[in-house]
Amino acid sequence: MVDAFFAVFQRPNFLTFVIIFMWGLYIMVTRYNLVKKLIGMYLVQTSVIFFLVSISAKRGATIPVLLSITEPVQAASYANPLPHVLTLTAIVVGVATTGVGLALCAAIYQKYGSLDEQEILEKLE
Amino acid sequence: MSHQLPAILFLLPLFAAISMPVVCLKHRHWSHPISVVILVAMVLVSILNLYNVIHHGEVQYVFGGWAVPLGIEWVADGLASVILVLLSVLGLLGVVFTGPTSPKDLGGRIVHYYTLILLLVSSVVGIVFAGDLFNLFVFLEVAAISSYALIGVAGGRALFAAFRYLIVGTLGASLYLLGVSYLYAVTGTLNMSDMADKLPLLLSSKALVGGLLFMFIGLGIKMALVPFHSWLPEAYTYAPDSISPILASLVTKVALLAWVRIIYWIFNASIIINDIPILLLVEVVGALAAVIGASLALAQRDIKMMFAYGGISHIGIILIGISQGNPTGFVGGVFYLLNDSVMQAALFFLAGVAFFQYGVRTIDDLGRIGKQAPWLTGALIVAALGMIGLPPTGGFFGKWYIILGALEASNYVSVVAVVLSTLLTLAYFVKLFEAIFRQTSTGSDIQFGVIPLSSKLTLGVTSAAIMILGLFSSPIIQLLLSHALPPRF
Repeated sequence: MVDAFFAVFQRPNFLTFVIIFMWGLYIMVTRYNLVKKLIGMYLVQTSVIFFLVSISAKRGATIPVLLSITEPVQAASYANPLPHVLTLTAIVVGVATTGVGLALCAAIYQKYGSLDEQEILEKLE
Repeated sequence: MSHQLPAILFLLPLFAAISMPVVCLKHRHWSHPISVVILVAMVLVSILNLYNVIHHGEVQYVFGGWAVPLGIEWVADGLASVILVLLSVLGLLGVVFTGPTSPKDLGGRIVHYYTLILLLVSSVVGIVFAGDLFNLFVFLEVAAISSYALIGVAGGRALFAAFRYLIVGTLGASLYLLGVSYLYAVTGTLNMSDMADKLPLLLSSKALVGGLLFMFIGLGIKMALVPFHSWLPEAYTYAPDSISPILASLVTKVALLAWVRIIYWIFNASIIINDIPILLLVEVVGALAAVIGASLALAQRDIKMMFAYGGISHIGIILIGISQGNPTGFVGGVFYLLNDSVMQAALFFLAGVAFFQYGVRTIDDLGRIGKQAPWLTGALIVAALGMIGLPPTGGFFGKWYIILGALEASNYVSVVAVVLSTLLTLAYFVKLFEAIFRQTSTGSDIQFGVIPLSSKLTLGVTSAAIMILGLFSSPIIQLLLSHALPPRF
């Protein structure tokens, strides 16, 4: 039990990821305000992006541009660019989703004059 | 030239979608004919692609000449090509249907509406062909974002349904991405075939199991699997009538196809979590979905809601088929997926026509159809035969092969679930037909204008397709058996 506890604290990045993810999920589930739900959704997306970045972090490594063309390539001295590219794409996808979500929120507000889920549900009945 | 076909299939709708707002800036009524022409071209190219794949083997399309595993790969194999022919035909029918029935108050936004439909179709091509896990994620999200916007396009109650779908769907996408990053951390590759080569040595890894489960939950949300289905009925019911058929026949099916790819093409279906084989898990979840979806459908009074729950139960039946772990069940599941796409399209076309021409929304209004539109009742009978699974239709043969596969694997729970779900489907269609033939309709017998030719055409084609899939089931099953099986079989 104690070992498991310390094992968790040896990887603070995973712990941070779990906290942000659960926090976002909690906001999405418990808040009635639609914009707050979107914020929760954005936290969930960001936490996954954070996870991707944190597993690809490498101490003492540089950008993946060859330091010298004469010496053989030392893979250990370069950071893996792929997770960062994935992260960029995931951010773009997240921005697009949030944009559509905000547009829907604006349209809902114009139509029902409220952003509170319960008030809207009452008006829908 | 022929090895470029997958890219052409994708670029046709994508370029049309991008150029649509420019081309139709002055002439907004061009957007419908342009979409129809593009989708007709897509149907032809997809048939050509299927012919090519059958005669010359699968096409591995590598983008920009970057070799696998570094580059992004698309795989046009038998399974993808067969499904793509059907999905592009259904996309075409959906666009033909949408012409006169699209929301009236869109004005200039009608151009963007067609842009979104074409974007949805192009992302479906991407999902079907993707040979790379992250590429799959991107296309799943393109499909999802276009469907959020399409559902919300008409305003009103649909806005709220679209928002809920957006929140739940994005959670699913995040979980899928989390699963992909787990698998990437373990294997160091994103290419499906490369990952399949590296996995056998790593099967004991806990991260692998975690990643697989996250992906399953994520895709389960996207395909509206039973515990995660709550977004679907509302979204499809309140979506514009012209959009529901396209969404119902394309979006959930491609998420299911993505899951089939992951479980059979990457994991070879052999992974075991805490002594529980993953296929058993999928089978149990599928059985629950089949029965619960059909019982919920029985409780509905809104006909679109009823059809949406029917679709949820069919997702379960397809999962039962593909989780049997033998070729018979797998082919039955894939064949049922084809049938289900056609039947869902047919049912939502029916619901659209019934509302547009006769103002029918709930079961209580259905009496009007029986009196005024016997041909609509006829189309509904054909669709019902398919949904219940009676012999001349494709639905029967799909269920038949699924049950044969389950008996072969001696999974009697699956057999019971399929039969139970069939009985429940029978029950809710009996409820529908009782309402039609008793003719206790309240309200006036009004008809709004003449029925457009396009609606009759789409209804006719889908009804015929349900029959044709049944009558020609044996060549299609043979085709699937010889070209669409995963590598392990």
